[in-house]
Amino acid sequence: MPSLKDIKTQINSVGSTKKITSAMKMVAASKLRRSQEKAEAARPYSSRLEEMLASLASSASSGEGIIKLLTGTGNDQNYIVVPVSADRGLCGGFNSSINRETFKLVKSLEGEGKNVQIMPVGKKSRDFFNRVMKDQITESFVDLNISNTGYESALQVSNKLQELYFDGKFDKCILIFNKFKSAISQEVTQQQLIPLDVSDSSKEDSVDDSTVKAIYDYEPDEETILKDLLPKNVSIQIFKVLLESDAGEHGARMAAMDNATRNAGEMIDSLTLKYNRTRQAFITKELIEIISGAESI
Amino acid sequence: MATISFDLVSPENLIFNDEVGMIIVPGKDGDFGVLPGHSKVMSSLRPGRVMVYGEDKNLLKAFFVSGGFAEVNPEKCIVLAESVDEINSLEKSSIEKEIQNLENQDTETAKEQLTISKAKLESLSSTFYEKI
Repeated sequence: MPSLKDIKTQINSVGSTKKITSAMKMVAASKLRRSQEKAEAARPYSSRLEEMLASLASSASSGEGIIKLLTGTGNDQNYIVVPVSADRGLCGGFNSSINRETFKLVKSLEGEGKNVQIMPVGKKSRDFFNRVMKDQITESFVDLNISNTGYESALQVSNKLQELYFDGKFDKCILIFNKFKSAISQEVTQQQLIPLDVSDSSKEDSVDDSTVKAIYDYEPDEETILKDLLPKNVSIQIFKVLLESDAGEHGARMAAMDNATRNAGEMIDSLTLKYNRTRQAFITKELIEIISGAESI
Repeated sequence: MATISFDLVSPENLIFNDEVGMIIVPGKDGDFGVLPGHSKVMSSLRPGRVMVYGEDKNLLKAFFVSGGFAEVNPEKCIVLAESVDEINSLEKSSIEKEIQNLENQDTETAKEQLTISKAKLESLSSTFYEKI
């Protein structure tokens, strides 16, 4: 039987763990609010940009240079996969679900005979792929700290991607990230970034697409605008994804820490019960000893 | 008098959203004014000033944008800017320092930044369009 002192130490240590997890939960909750605001603030820009692109996209014919971001290289042999994870752990299944999904995608693409490179964003996915697929990592980005540095850090990622793309290093780029659905749920999402997939966003508008195109005046001209717009769109999409992932991370951490706090509470309850029982058992034992001692006299 | 709804958006947030009388936008091929009922235009922007006027043509706000796009239709004008500063919040000395720093560097990005900073300085000292 464990001594009373052992149980007491255990209760204390679980108690301090509980304090830590509940503090982390509180921190995550306040950070969540801030990053959620940021994600929402960024939304008008990206939605307007998408609208503009949708009305322009129809005018693009296959071409050279920047237009390739829209039309593709004409190949689909080389892929680059960009998993977006958090830099820190203790947030439930947030990071591992990204890593698992990416791993599955890479394997299935390889099964089709494609060449796949990985460009992890965030420490947790970098560390994971450093262990399992070290030679496929082209570049990694950690400590982006999106909620403080903002758009600048998204530009880093986007510039690198475009540099690789125009060097002909890959034909298709797929982002894997946690989409922020609500404070307690995130959804692992795949998004094709390059070449741009306009078919989804412009589907509803496709009816009046031709009229939009007919009416607008373009200054300087459609092609120049498109050339400016496309690289910007890549950066903005990445920025949006990073913000969503950041908000999702805090949400996931909050939920995980809430669970941990509750579990610690339950553990303390059961340990306290055990402590009381043990103490009672000792008292009973001592009483029996005294009584039987007195009887034998 | 009629008004036109004007949105100024940067990647980080929505900076301005209100009904205004007129806007002057620094288009790539030259500045253009937008009044209510303007025909549909899409234009890319060069670094410069976006001026916002009230209904009786009094200057409400002046912003510096480092580039971006504008979409105009008869009811609405949307400016998607890369980065936005309010002209009043800019400081001449700090921009001059920035320019000096950038002039010593020889990378592509530094050169781009330099043109932006120079345009910033120019728009700070310029008094065009302040009264119309």
